[in-house]
Amino acid sequence: MAAKWYELITGSLDDKKAYRQYKARIAALPEPYGTAAKAFERYFMYNGGITDGDSAVMITMLNDFADLWERAAVDGTPIEDIVGDDPVEFAEAFAAAYAGKRWIDKERNRLTETIQNLEGKEER
Amino acid sequence: MGKQTTEMLKGTLEGIVLAILAVQPAYGYEITARLRDQGFSDIAEGTVYALLVRIEQRGFVDVEKVPSEKGPPRKVYTINAQGGAYLEEFWRTWSFLAERIEQLHHRIERTNEEGE
Repeated sequence: MAAKWYELITGSLDDKKAYRQYKARIAALPEPYGTAAKAFERYFMYNGGITDGDSAVMITMLNDFADLWERAAVDGTPIEDIVGDDPVEFAEAFAAAYAGKRWIDKERNRLTETIQNLEGKEER
Repeated sequence: MGKQTTEMLKGTLEGIVLAILAVQPAYGYEITARLRDQGFSDIAEGTVYALLVRIEQRGFVDVEKVPSEKGPPRKVYTINAQGGAYLEEFWRTWSFLAERIEQLHHRIERTNEEGE
């Protein structure tokens, strides 16, 4: 289905819907899982940079993230068993699984290409 | 587990998890539990979960959602042909590394003994 013209301006409505559904899942988590999930989400938003270019990756990540916390809440798994000793490390590891589309990758590719193009060009 | 163990495990955990899955398909918590049985006592479930997501994205496992008695369905991970190929390469790399490091260790110990 072709995107409607106004989605060019507002962003995809399907994405917005998926995002709202994700938010509802997180809001429905019992404590302390809700607070934990929101804390990680905040960190992702600052640190992730994943949304750039491909919102589908972001949606996949958030849905997987909601899956994880819903499961933990149902099983009553202690927060520490989920995130380990170092919450930052967990957040980084989790986000890294979706790192294929981070904005920095564009720059990584650019650096690689520039250096590759130099090969064989130096005077000896 | 110490900080060094955690650091060293980082590069190998993918292979370890695929090796566990090669025995039989499992969902996240089962994998964490098996790792704990094997002596990786402090491993966080979330770390394993993030890793499962990564190997799923890389196409090493097939995922099936299986209904559970309570709560959302569990994602059961099965290693596929691509994952099997990765695992074979992992074992080759591991043998190579282990052998080299062991040799280095012995050589350094021998040199120290001769020096004394």
